[in-house]
Amino acid sequence: MTENAPLTINDTQDSGSRPGRKVPAFAIVLGLGVLFLGGLLILMLIKPPQKALCDEAAPDLSLALFPEYTGGWTGETISLFDLRGKGVVLNFWASWCKPCEDEAAALEAAWRKYKDQGIVFVGVDYLDQDPAAKRYLEKFDITFPNGPDLASKISKRYAIRGVPETFFIDPQGTIVGCRKTGPLGDAELVQRIAEIMP
Amino acid sequence: MTDLGYIAILLAFLLCIYGIAVSVLGATRGRSELVASGRNTVYVVGGLVTIAAALMWRALLTNEFNNEFVATHSERALPTIYKISALWGGQAGSLLFWTFLACIMAASATWFFRREQASLKPWVNAVLLLYIGFFISLLLFAENPFNRLWITGAGEIAAGVFQPAGATALVPADGQGLNPQLQNYWMMIHPVALYLGFVGMTVPFAFAVAALITGQLGNTWIKLIRRWALAPWAFLTIGILLGSQWAYLELGWGGYWAWDPVENASFLPWLTATAFVHSIMIQERRGMLKVWNMVLIALTWELTLIGTFLTRSGVVQSVHSFALSAVGPMFAAFIIVTSLAFLGLMVWRLPKLKSENTLDAVMSRETSFLTQNVIFLLIMAATFLGTIFPSISELVMGDKISLNAPYFMRVNGPIFVALLILMGIAPLLAWRRSGPETLRRNFLLPVIAGLLSIPLMFALGNRNFAGFVGIATLIFVFAGIVQEYVRGVRARMTATHEPLPAALFNLVRRNGRRYGGYIVHIGVLLIALGIIGNEFYQLEGEANLRAGESITVGDYTLTYTRLDAVDGPNFTEFTSPMQLSRGGRDVGVITPKKHIYFKNQEQPMSEVGLRPGLLEDVYVVLAGWEGGGQTASFKVFINPLMSWMWVGGIVMMLGVLVSAWPRRTAVTADATRRVPGGAQHV
Amino acid sequence: MRKWFVTWAAIVMVLVLAMPVLAQTPTPNEINAVARELWCPLCNGVRLDNCELQACIQMKEVIAQKLEAGESTDQIKAYFVTQYGDIVLGQPSREGFNLIVWLFPVLAAVVGLGWVTYLVLSWRKRQGQIGSAGGAPTSASATRRPGEEPDDYLKRVERELRESE
Repeated sequence: MTENAPLTINDTQDSGSRPGRKVPAFAIVLGLGVLFLGGLLILMLIKPPQKALCDEAAPDLSLALFPEYTGGWTGETISLFDLRGKGVVLNFWASWCKPCEDEAAALEAAWRKYKDQGIVFVGVDYLDQDPAAKRYLEKFDITFPNGPDLASKISKRYAIRGVPETFFIDPQGTIVGCRKTGPLGDAELVQRIAEIMP
Repeated sequence: MTDLGYIAILLAFLLCIYGIAVSVLGATRGRSELVASGRNTVYVVGGLVTIAAALMWRALLTNEFNNEFVATHSERALPTIYKISALWGGQAGSLLFWTFLACIMAASATWFFRREQASLKPWVNAVLLLYIGFFISLLLFAENPFNRLWITGAGEIAAGVFQPAGATALVPADGQGLNPQLQNYWMMIHPVALYLGFVGMTVPFAFAVAALITGQLGNTWIKLIRRWALAPWAFLTIGILLGSQWAYLELGWGGYWAWDPVENASFLPWLTATAFVHSIMIQERRGMLKVWNMVLIALTWELTLIGTFLTRSGVVQSVHSFALSAVGPMFAAFIIVTSLAFLGLMVWRLPKLKSENTLDAVMSRETSFLTQNVIFLLIMAATFLGTIFPSISELVMGDKISLNAPYFMRVNGPIFVALLILMGIAPLLAWRRSGPETLRRNFLLPVIAGLLSIPLMFALGNRNFAGFVGIATLIFVFAGIVQEYVRGVRARMTATHEPLPAALFNLVRRNGRRYGGYIVHIGVLLIALGIIGNEFYQLEGEANLRAGESITVGDYTLTYTRLDAVDGPNFTEFTSPMQLSRGGRDVGVITPKKHIYFKNQEQPMSEVGLRPGLLEDVYVVLAGWEGGGQTASFKVFINPLMSWMWVGGIVMMLGVLVSAWPRRTAVTADATRRVPGGAQHV
Repeated sequence: MRKWFVTWAAIVMVLVLAMPVLAQTPTPNEINAVARELWCPLCNGVRLDNCELQACIQMKEVIAQKLEAGESTDQIKAYFVTQYGDIVLGQPSREGFNLIVWLFPVLAAVVGLGWVTYLVLSWRKRQGQIGSAGGAPTSASATRRPGEEPDDYLKRVERELRESE
């Protein structure tokens, strides 16, 4: 090859300039592979946003309760359907979660105050262990219904990213407003409970 | 003054565009002055990026906390060496460092090849500048290390290069400090080695592209870039081994490789690069596997990009990953476009990539090289799928699954054993065809050695099945290599009547590629030995001890004596010297430590107490303590054969040096010289 | 007779008193033996025996309790799978969508090695069709006769010596 000769793309030596040359199978496979992979990478980037679940129908849930913490509920499991007609404060917590402890007292106090006004508190224990969970409930003298979220089924349905997270569900089974991430204060609790009063 | 760095990379970016245009024009129009200008652009861009990097380092060393990157990754009390390494301790800075290394690599390659292959060079320069230009674009448009901190009129903190209207410069009194996990000696070298490996792959890739475009698809480009493929491969190997050593000594879980997504990201290009450096041998000798070599080098280069994409874009969860960033889409676009473009080039040149010869027999070296290509690709594909599958599963099923070491070991383990066996078989096969006589001669001793090791291990007490398989394989491969050396030396002594040492020396000197390669394989065997020891024979123990109490694991007893605390520059160091005894005999003191950083109290770092040994490592972690040291809990591991992994790494590097050493019979000047008969000896 | 009775009574009493001692709390090593087979559900890629999070410490407490109650490792693992899902196992289940990640390596191996086999066999067939004389390679390395083989290394050395002169 001469050193400074201009490159002629239509080099007559190779047969590449023949029109209509068939593209071999493996090249098509590779090409498709590249596109598939590229699509995957892009999809992974455009992660679907976390289901906001704001002002939407609350996904149904079926919670098997801790035997000592049925909160007056008869039956071993509680489901949202059973609670139609009452306002539901759905709280996700865990015994290893420090911020959850900040709101535990407020939640229990609000439960005691509002339970005769048609408001139910339901606690869902996220990624936790029975002994530690029960120690936590005892420590804060919790009396509203609580149960472990087995295999994180409920947490997945509610797209939980961490704890504590709380949802306020009205008597018709619709989530009012967006989820609350982080510990709840007394004032905020009162305000949001007012929105779901039956 | 740091702002000049921003201007430097802006200029460099524009120059990259210029350089690409000029190189392409020069090549297609045959204008050598344009080509020369393109070549000079590589040097100028390199100089500008160096200035930018130097200014960033200056900002770090002078505690310029008005700079956003410095404020978020450094602090006054940070030791100087960590201020230097802080440049690659965060997303924006590490991208700048990557670009800087890419420029060094590009400039070196341009200068090294300055008298070679002028027809290929414009295209090589264009590809190099495209790569550098892309990374500078990441700095300019997504992660800018030259952002400064401002307080807006509304009292909010903003970051940017230019002063927003109504804002004043914010100069924090001190920075947030560097992640404690990065404050150790490996941070100085592991990322550097890896990055050199990653950027280095661009050089052989650029030559491959140039060869495709110019149609010069003989062995010229392969011979030219052999060392320029071996060097980044060596850097990648060192980088991965250093990372393993870091994990072993700092993370305190007794292991060295967690199949973490970012670890896998560095492993994937290593796999295809290893296949490549072997496969090009076939093209050189027999003109075969040309398409394979194109695919392998392109895959290697793209995988370096995909790997860093996975690390930096936040799509996979990892202890290593940077925070979510805007670089993701840019990487994705670059990867897809360059992959399709390369594929198009390859399809266009397919007729010229036809094999000059065919496979002659099953039992031939060519077949084993082809098989090794397939096996390496298989491991790469399985590892890649395992790495991204959790993200895919979350997308498709909404389900978070975990894919950890158990999966990878189960899938890759058997494949690696097959690969090791192949590594032993291939050198014992002849080119083209091995008759039954050859097979018997070459395989008899190694196979017998491998099989004999089984009853020997049984007699020594081994009952672990995987251990039998692993060690027998290692012995088989090792015996094969020794046999090669012995025969080569003997033949040389017969021919030249040299004494043994001289014969050995000259044998290796004259056949550096072959015998250096064998040394690298021995290194691989040693690493495999360390892996087998750690994986199948590790002993573990944990205990909560009061002063004077001991824990016994295997032959060793460790006694807790006391807990000391002393302040370092930016941390408190807790040490607990323990009395170590073996089989009742006192052996010395072993001291695990813990660092608790002032600015990062929730992230204490363990310094493992290690007593390395040829047969086993004694490894102890100070897990925690109560009552100011009244009781302390320790985790002890006995890791057999672990030190051989590090020895193996050194041996591999020695082998690379031998293999890549320039020889008196110049390869470059008469690259097309052919030995009569068509057979070229290695 | 009385001596026997006293001896047996003493033995029984010792055993009864020793019972609490026999049912000891599991040592950290025993807990770790089970924890090594589980993975932290909250963090990514951290094995349970290495995890220092509060949740993991609680999981190890539960393991201790269950070991004390006499449960086997498999029973304990099954319990955690009920509590947390498959994420604690460190590898995906072999059902449904997850089958992809288990089947793919096997399929890829079969396809890859099968293709190599096909290539080699088809070339061999083509060789056979071309015939022995015309297409057979004539270079020394392929037509080595048994007696010549030991000289291969020698030949290589001699070739090198010639070239270096």
